[in-house]
Amino acid sequence: MVRKKCVAMLLAGGQGSRLGVLTSKIAKPAVPYGGKYRIIDFPLSNCINSGIDTVGILTQYKPLELNDYVGSGKAWDLDRLSGGVHILPPYQGQKGGDWYKGTANAIYQNLGFIERYDPEYVLILSGDHIYKMDYSKMINQHIETKSDCTIAVLEVSMEEASRFGIMNTNPDGSIYEFEEKPKNPKSNLASMGIYVFSWDKLKKYLTEDENNPNSSNDFGKNIIPAMLADGQNMRVYRFGDYWKDVGTVDSLWEANLDLLNPKIDLNLSDPNWRIYSRSGALPPHYISNKATVENSLITDGCEVYGNLDCSILFENVKVEEGASVEYSLVMPGAVIGKGAKVRYSIIAENAVIGENATVGVLPETVSPEDFGISVVGDNLTVGAGAVIGAKKIITENVGEGEKV
Amino acid sequence: MRPSAVSGIIFANSRDEALGRMTEVRSMASLPFGGRYRIIDFCLSNLVNAGITNVGVITKANYRSLMDHIGSGVFWDLDRKRGGVHLLPPFNISGARRYHGYIEALYGAMDFLNRCNSEYIVICEGCVVANVDIATAVDFHIEKNADITVVYRSGVEVKNAKNMMTMTVDSSDRLVSVKLPESISADDLSSLGVLILKRDLLIELVNNAYENGGRNIDVDIIADRINDLKIFGFKHNGFSAVMTDIKSYTKANMSLLEAETRADLFNPNRRIMTKNRDDMPTRYGTKAKTGNSFIADGCVIDGEVENSILFRGVTVKKGALVKNSIVMQDCVIGENAIINDVILDKKVTVSSNNIIKGTKEQAVYIEKNQKI
Repeated sequence: MVRKKCVAMLLAGGQGSRLGVLTSKIAKPAVPYGGKYRIIDFPLSNCINSGIDTVGILTQYKPLELNDYVGSGKAWDLDRLSGGVHILPPYQGQKGGDWYKGTANAIYQNLGFIERYDPEYVLILSGDHIYKMDYSKMINQHIETKSDCTIAVLEVSMEEASRFGIMNTNPDGSIYEFEEKPKNPKSNLASMGIYVFSWDKLKKYLTEDENNPNSSNDFGKNIIPAMLADGQNMRVYRFGDYWKDVGTVDSLWEANLDLLNPKIDLNLSDPNWRIYSRSGALPPHYISNKATVENSLITDGCEVYGNLDCSILFENVKVEEGASVEYSLVMPGAVIGKGAKVRYSIIAENAVIGENATVGVLPETVSPEDFGISVVGDNLTVGAGAVIGAKKIITENVGEGEKV
Repeated sequence: MRPSAVSGIIFANSRDEALGRMTEVRSMASLPFGGRYRIIDFCLSNLVNAGITNVGVITKANYRSLMDHIGSGVFWDLDRKRGGVHLLPPFNISGARRYHGYIEALYGAMDFLNRCNSEYIVICEGCVVANVDIATAVDFHIEKNADITVVYRSGVEVKNAKNMMTMTVDSSDRLVSVKLPESISADDLSSLGVLILKRDLLIELVNNAYENGGRNIDVDIIADRINDLKIFGFKHNGFSAVMTDIKSYTKANMSLLEAETRADLFNPNRRIMTKNRDDMPTRYGTKAKTGNSFIADGCVIDGEVENSILFRGVTVKKGALVKNSIVMQDCVIGENAIINDVILDKKVTVSSNNIIKGTKEQAVYIEKNQKI
């Protein structure tokens, strides 16, 4: 096996339960984003753009669609003779096997995979964030500062800080304390869940952690505190560009609409930092004479006969005549029937919204506490004339004229 | 059928001269079409959709853009250990000069034909835009026990029908006569440049015709052998367009604005594949106005677009109007500029406030990389 300087391990096994119906059949990293992407395109594209060509993807929850999507890694130029992309599910050994018990255990169970490449550094990533980041800069800082572990952090507001894992640092950027969701935060440096470890140190601490029966085998809860307690050289790497966790329905919706905000720099076509995706050989989209399209994002295979405002159409979506879609995401293959109204909603893959049905409400028409994004699950049908209110999560077909 | 039972041959420089300046710097096969395609994508996809995994592309000149487009063949699933796509530049012709006519071209590709080890060959002219069901055509060929099968269409008028073969068939679909007329009427059956025949027979026919100084398949093989070979016609019923001049190119692009054409050409069970560029979806601004247009990914539209085809990465700035036009990859239409009945080749920049107008009869064509 050819030796690699750095191997990336992408934690993609989480259920993403806060996304509800959107992850009922697929793992969170496989959730569609931005018209033609899936969340996992971001870490994978960042890897290849950063010069990392060896990536292990740790899967566990509903891996079928994710495995199928990643395939040989060709779409990200990660089909390599040496290295490339590898799907790593839990497996049985001679003494039986276990599901991945925690993030640290998932990596521990795959020490053998990393060992094959005998790297100097291991990059730990997760599959639930939208961001463009040059990991090589972070690795360079790790090398220059002779760190044992480097943790990427983002400055958040002090009010938000209690929702994150917070790094308390000395003026030179070294970490003296890690606090998970502190009530009274001492700093506003939030962990992005991106770590660079020197391989020998990672191996040592993962092995010790595995031998500790009281550990929950988690990077944030166990590995980082243990290394800090031992006085290892741990530093933050500051990241200042766009980054968004897409763990909830609201944040997924927001992160998508951010693509329409001219004030947010999130160009996914940037020739110097392209986000790659696996696309399905579809024709360009068609906009009819009867359509109006404003402030929206539309991709291949769509046919638009209705009205769009501030929305994102994913591949192969059809918006029929007289329908209107406002502030919404319409995921691959969904159909918005004639005269239907969709606003502040996420319509999941292949859902069909019947003629003159209404999904979601405009925020100005309800009190703020009743307002929220509505979601129609994949492959569901909403009958003609049905009405779905605000903040509704639809997991079963809705009959004609029904009110939900 | 075994996947290797049929191989494909595509003529990449078919009717190169028909489109004048548009094909001066590229082969016909690499001519951009329909927002994100090049003409050869239709031939390649048709062959691949029929389960054919071994394809030779015969080139003549200006094949840099074609090589760039095809690459390893990965986008058509033709990066294969067994078979795959093979570019066949001029070879085996004394002095390595360019070939004259398809017979000489096939003679130059004899190594490919000898080596490809498949029973049948499907030959395609790379100037045709159609989603042809080649698998059914091959079944038809075998069922009829034909020596040669010619795929044809009818119902299409062609005024400028240079080198386009028409035919008459009997009730069993066997060819009775062929012609190379000046123009073609809607009742005529005209060849779509797709031929199916056994490899051994093709080698024999090409060798014989070449030795006798033959140049043209239609004249020196089909017409010449119409009585002693069983030559059948297989009708293609869907949309088709042959690039015979700039007008036919414009018309074929514009027919993508019809739902029926799109449904037929982009049949989801026989997809048209092309090189992927990983553009982000097209962004429409708050002032954008769009109607009856076919638009690829990667565009940024802040102006007005009407009855037009926009290729990948086109920018239409505020106040600009694009009407009845074909705008190729990475063009920029400056603020308040107007283009009407225009074909912009790749990477053309139209300056702010500029107006370019052609006519319905004759679109204005602007060459690649121009700034106006």
